[in-house]
Amino acid sequence: MASRYDRAITVFSPDGHLFQVEYAQEAVKKGSTAVGIRGTDIVVLGVEKKSVAKLQDERTVRKICALDDHVCMAFAGLTADARVVINRARVECQSHKLTVEDPVTVEYITRFIATLKQKYTQSNGRRPFGISALIVGFDDDGIPRLYQTDPSGTYHAWKANAIGRSAKTVREFLEKNYTEDAIANDNEAIKLAIRALLEVVQSGGKNIELAIIRRNQPLKMFSAKEIELQVTEIEKEKEEAEKKKSKKTTEFLG
Amino acid sequence: MRRVGAPRSCRDVGQDTMAATFFGEVVRTPCRAGTEDQEEEEEGRRETAEDREVRRQLSRKREVRLFRRQTKTSLEVSLLEKYPCSKFIIAIGNNAVAFLSSFVMNSGVWEEVGCAKLWNEWCRTTDTTHLSPAEAFCVFYHLKSNPSVLLCQCSCYVAEDQQYQWLEKVFGSCARKNMQVTVLTCRHVTDYKTSESTSSLHSPFLKALKTQNFKEPPCCPLLEQPNIVHDLPAAVLSYCQVWKIPAVLYLCYTDVMKLDLITVEAFKPILSSRSLKGLVKNIPQSTEILKKLMTTNEIQSNIYT
Repeated sequence: MASRYDRAITVFSPDGHLFQVEYAQEAVKKGSTAVGIRGTDIVVLGVEKKSVAKLQDERTVRKICALDDHVCMAFAGLTADARVVINRARVECQSHKLTVEDPVTVEYITRFIATLKQKYTQSNGRRPFGISALIVGFDDDGIPRLYQTDPSGTYHAWKANAIGRSAKTVREFLEKNYTEDAIANDNEAIKLAIRALLEVVQSGGKNIELAIIRRNQPLKMFSAKEIELQVTEIEKEKEEAEKKKSKKTTEFLG
Repeated sequence: MRRVGAPRSCRDVGQDTMAATFFGEVVRTPCRAGTEDQEEEEEGRRETAEDREVRRQLSRKREVRLFRRQTKTSLEVSLLEKYPCSKFIIAIGNNAVAFLSSFVMNSGVWEEVGCAKLWNEWCRTTDTTHLSPAEAFCVFYHLKSNPSVLLCQCSCYVAEDQQYQWLEKVFGSCARKNMQVTVLTCRHVTDYKTSESTSSLHSPFLKALKTQNFKEPPCCPLLEQPNIVHDLPAAVLSYCQVWKIPAVLYLCYTDVMKLDLITVEAFKPILSSRSLKGLVKNIPQSTEILKKLMTTNEIQSNIYT
């Protein structure tokens, strides 16, 4: 039944589905995982880096992009679609700054991207954008924000979320582990993002890319060394937790 | 034949009507008015010698050939007649093949006993003589220390018209006694029909489907209705059901059809089944081999990031 209604985007199926939009969400799942965490004074974006071909310049394969000095986004899905959306968003950020002399709020630029995506679900001859985006940043009022958009053009604010391959596994991990303690300070929030990614990343720390924005500070990308440090710390903490657990059980049994 | 949008124009041309669809393509739709000239129709459909020759060439191209690669000789009898076995494990699809390669084939010495070569439209080349193993071969191995264990690695697609030939050449046309068949394959999770919401499905997950004579408890839940099995795994299971051979299919529903670590690891519960138990020795080493297989097989696609 689905095959008769997925030709043209403007056609609803009898039971109310827009199949092209749903298929676009499948395309998003083909991209590698991206996770976003909203801390108290920090916002963190972590992504699983695809392995780069030998002759490819690593700097041109980026999943995390700055939209303005105080807003950045990570995406999952079709690379080319993401490039188009990011360019439009960047232009909008500058246009907004020039027109109203204020930088965009995170919600504004998210709404802009979501509106753009929705337009492509309602015109014939065009297909939806095959990307989901996690948009993070700080507004002028100093409050950290995290938004997620999807191919249908909806957007919502989140405390923590994941998109891309195995997003469900990561989201479940976040639901269990996102506590007030976990985001108590910046370092803990960063560790939470890395731990969430390690649940699904296939080869450990060297395939993770991380970016943070602190209040009133520009975007900071972590180097591979800094990420390795964090990963080693996390593994040490895990080992200690395991040791404590096994000690407790032996005490109990002994 | 219904089309998207009503046909805008309809003209009678001979026996068929022409209709324009919503997108402006003109297609032939069968005329429901019927036709008076039955004879004319039959003349057009009579087969010429040329048609027969084309058909013959096509069936020759699509023939399933079973042969030994080392000696380049073809097998005169069916594979199981030449190499009778008590355990036959078949992996269909690249993830299932990777699972057997890293978990089963690295423990023990396996000797290649034959391979089935076939060509169909799914192969990326039209040259039927120089086909690469990855795209057109099903390779059969047996364990040197215990030749009654047979393994098949099939990473090519076997088309519907070729499945019967494949079965004939591999199983033969008579019942096999004292044999158990295990089939491993993958399917995309969007094919899985369920009444619960698809967002609550935790893919990849394993489902089993077995023949009546398979008495062991399977290692995972059984496949529920109305889901069905397709292609070669279905053909093998049907054959086993008809010939009363105990057989089980382990089907992994995944959202990543290309070679993927998590999908391959989803087959791990099968390692505890009776058919694979004696064959797997070193699991940590297998995981290492699997990781290496992943990195060497990674095709650089820049479409998705």
